[in-house]
Amino acid sequence: MTPDRESVPLAVVRLSDEDLMGKVAEEDERAFTELVRRFQGRVINLVSRILNDRDVSEDLAQEVFVRVYVHRRNYRRGSKFSTWLFTIAANLAKNEIRRRVRRRNWFSLDALQEVVGDSAIQLADPKEGQDVSLQRTQLQEAVGRAIAVVPEKYRIALVLRDIEGFAYEEIGQMLGIPGGTVRSRINRARGILKRKLQPLSRKEGL
Amino acid sequence: MSCERARHLFDAYWDDELTQAEREWLEAHFASCTPCHGAYEALARTLELVGGLPRFEVTSGFAERTLARARRAGAEPDRVSARAPRWIPVTAAAAAALLAVLGATVLQWGGMPRPGGRSPGSVVSETIRQPVLVGPAPVARSADAARGTSSTAGMGDGAVAVVPDSIFDHSEDVEFILDPFTLRKGRAHTRISSPQDAPRGQQATITF
Repeated sequence: MTPDRESVPLAVVRLSDEDLMGKVAEEDERAFTELVRRFQGRVINLVSRILNDRDVSEDLAQEVFVRVYVHRRNYRRGSKFSTWLFTIAANLAKNEIRRRVRRRNWFSLDALQEVVGDSAIQLADPKEGQDVSLQRTQLQEAVGRAIAVVPEKYRIALVLRDIEGFAYEEIGQMLGIPGGTVRSRINRARGILKRKLQPLSRKEGL
Repeated sequence: MSCERARHLFDAYWDDELTQAEREWLEAHFASCTPCHGAYEALARTLELVGGLPRFEVTSGFAERTLARARRAGAEPDRVSARAPRWIPVTAAAAAALLAVLGATVLQWGGMPRPGGRSPGSVVSETIRQPVLVGPAPVARSADAARGTSSTAGMGDGAVAVVPDSIFDHSEDVEFILDPFTLRKGRAHTRISSPQDAPRGQQATITF
């Protein structure tokens, strides 16, 4: 297999995602590596934002691609590869959330709300001369925690739409729900986030 | 009413999915309704914050590590497809039926003579009927066959394999019938028929 991108043949790099996946189904490991390189950033970002946990997101993202590889012959040619890939990613992220809930090794809703509330207070009263980049980092962390408070089914739809930028129809295919339900979930998620972040954005003058 | 309608359009306005007429109506409403305008601005600020979150960096060598892990996983049996395929019961039932037929055939064609039985020399001259698979099998039915009565009269619908046999005396035999019709999960067990059902021989039904 090719360890660096320079050695990947141009023919592979120029192939569409779907054609690459077709080659993966024919045991072409270079095609698989190329697909991983194309989507690794988006998959890691998706699971990180859904879980608000960067530490485990790389491992989970790897698992997403491993599932793609193991089930390579189940890929239906003609269907959009990214839809299939993010369906797997969303399902694994959902499973991870539920696994953590079962193990009670996760923030409780109340604890998270407290954390978000504390962040809002802290950000609302920045110390004189506090580093602007530090404030921005804190703000982003608070946003990440606020997303993590949104109930799972709304959160996944929100991240797919407002962070990853997928179309409603595609999200519906990924989650196996009608387009109207996707809109409804995203509407609910946005409303929850708005209420959570309103104090932050008001004080920050954003 | 118009405020309710306006707020119903907020998401579509953010997603740029409104028609020209809807957009013009909503913007005109914002111009005259400060609460609705403020509510939309709050939503927009929230979504700007969410959309403006930094992307996470990918560590170097991620693709190669993923491939190595995929190879290892690919070498293992696929747990999803290996999980209790639906064809197993059908195959098992078919195999059990085949075994039953073969077993009956072996009993008929390859049975060894018993002491006190008929002369082995008579085997050549006898016409031996093939076993007939009739249906689900009550245990005692082939006792008639063991006695040499080849008729199936009065057997009802339940006999499994009727093996009329006038060559050997199977009065001391225990006949094992693999019963595919009662195939179900559970421990294997052996059921011996009651003496009334099989006065001269014994029959066992093995059910899985």
